[in-house]
Amino acid sequence: MIEQLPFLMWPFLALLCIAGIHVYLGLHVVEREVIFVDLSLAQLAVLGAAVATLWGLDPHDPPTYAAALGFTVLGAAVFSFTRSERGRVPQEAIIGIVYAVAAAATVLILNNAPHGAEHIRDVLVGQLLAVGREDVLRLALLYTGVGALHVLWRRKFLLISHDPAAARAAGINVKGWDFLFYVTFGITVTASVELGGVLVVFSYLIVPSVTAVLFARGVGTRLAIGWAVAALASALGMLTSVWLSAPPGASVVCVFGALLVLAALARPLITRRA
Amino acid sequence: MRPPDATTRARALAFGAAVLLGTCGALVAPARSDPKPLSVITTTEDLAAIAREVGGERVRAIALCRGYQDPHFVDAKPSYMVQLRNAALFVQVGRDLEIGWAPGLLNGARNPRILPGAPGFVDASAQVQVIEIPQTVSRSQGDVHPYGNPHYWLDPANGAPIARAIRDGLVRVSPADAALFERRCAEFESRLGAAVARWKAEARSLGLAGRKVVTYHRSWSYFARAFDLEVVDFVEPRPGIPPSPNHVQDLVARMKRGDVALLVMEDFFDPRLPRRISEQTGVPLVILPTSVADEPAIRTYFDLFDRLFAAIGPALEGGTRR
Repeated sequence: MIEQLPFLMWPFLALLCIAGIHVYLGLHVVEREVIFVDLSLAQLAVLGAAVATLWGLDPHDPPTYAAALGFTVLGAAVFSFTRSERGRVPQEAIIGIVYAVAAAATVLILNNAPHGAEHIRDVLVGQLLAVGREDVLRLALLYTGVGALHVLWRRKFLLISHDPAAARAAGINVKGWDFLFYVTFGITVTASVELGGVLVVFSYLIVPSVTAVLFARGVGTRLAIGWAVAALASALGMLTSVWLSAPPGASVVCVFGALLVLAALARPLITRRA
Repeated sequence: MRPPDATTRARALAFGAAVLLGTCGALVAPARSDPKPLSVITTTEDLAAIAREVGGERVRAIALCRGYQDPHFVDAKPSYMVQLRNAALFVQVGRDLEIGWAPGLLNGARNPRILPGAPGFVDASAQVQVIEIPQTVSRSQGDVHPYGNPHYWLDPANGAPIARAIRDGLVRVSPADAALFERRCAEFESRLGAAVARWKAEARSLGLAGRKVVTYHRSWSYFARAFDLEVVDFVEPRPGIPPSPNHVQDLVARMKRGDVALLVMEDFFDPRLPRRISEQTGVPLVILPTSVADEPAIRTYFDLFDRLFAAIGPALEGGTRR
């Protein structure tokens, strides 16, 4: 175990960074019932990168990253404009459609793309063990920025997620704030998916906040529970990976599942006492 | 109306005979020199390149898998069905390399001439000495090949048995051209023999023999055997299953011992982990094509090995200097 520590340190720190911001964003996502929005936005980013290769750009060029970001912002616009309380089309349907079409369009573009384009698909798989110091610094910087925005305007962000009608009544531009929410969300998940892959990022987003919702009502308590669950799952997941000699990403996701089952079983005991 | 005189009748007769002869000639001629080339469909670009060497102008060889794609995984497209339906000859690498996609395409194309067992079906591995045939096979080892390592085209000497298998197939489907195919195949073999001697000399001058390398997959076993390299470990030992931290740790420790000259990787895999391992250990990473047409400049089977040596040489020197 000890000799593996230096190699696992950076991936583990990256997971803690991911936990920091995703647990918070996950509370929004569960509240808004847009569970698969991260998959949809990540797939849009991949589509953007694929389109960039059509212009002859290398998958690792900065303009490719800009194209990926551009498509994510486009998705943010779509999701903020399709949200309405009395709409007959649930927002999950729009999210699913965007995901399917973006994934299919990526296949069509890569079908005849020049050499090297197949690496674009790697973005969705992630490679936790390849994470190094620069990756962690980049993540920490990016997430601090996103986190600062959300701390600064926490009242507005929380209100538009929790009760959009009240927000509108209070004179808040809900569509505008929704757009800003999805832009920050898209930037966050695009960066994390590239390192951890879609399965890992989905777990960090949804499992801690679902666990927290089982036990608490207030945002502060939920955040605390979520962060604790995510940190525990990161550590146990890495240990499991070493113990079973298994891929770390899959190990972390399964540990998340196990923790959620344990939490659900323990819930009656804890709530009865409370 | 006047009855036709003798000269008119003779002219008409001559004209009729000429038309008849001409028609017969046109019908008979194609059998002697068919202008339409035989359609040869191969799974990989390497096989197509060798089929062009053997068939020359008489064949039109097209590969289904692009040179830069992983030949284990190819998405079927409708155009493949059309190509296979009209094919006179189908050539595969075999040894289960294309097991995930070629059998389905062959069945779907409804062309009995190229089904396994038919004259138009060629398994290019038939005359190749295949290595790494496992004793036991289990899914727990990942995506392994029970019939041995299928990456045999990366030993240039294997170009000869591949060419002979293709030649035999071409002779079966077009016996009239047998002499041409036999001559061209022999020419290819002698050119290849000379080139192999040249590459071996290049390997010697690079000091390749006996050097230890780490590769991403088992794709390089034949190349290593041909040029006396020793593959000591793999980045992804179980194909298709991401490596565990334990394995990466062991690998890094092994590579830090200092006797590993190169980290070799196929260019269709995710380079992030090999790059990080290379940074950690100081062992130079060289990302190499594994097929003809992987890059536009690699047009022939000869170009492929020229390109491999052009990349390995500088990488090796860069590593030694460190």
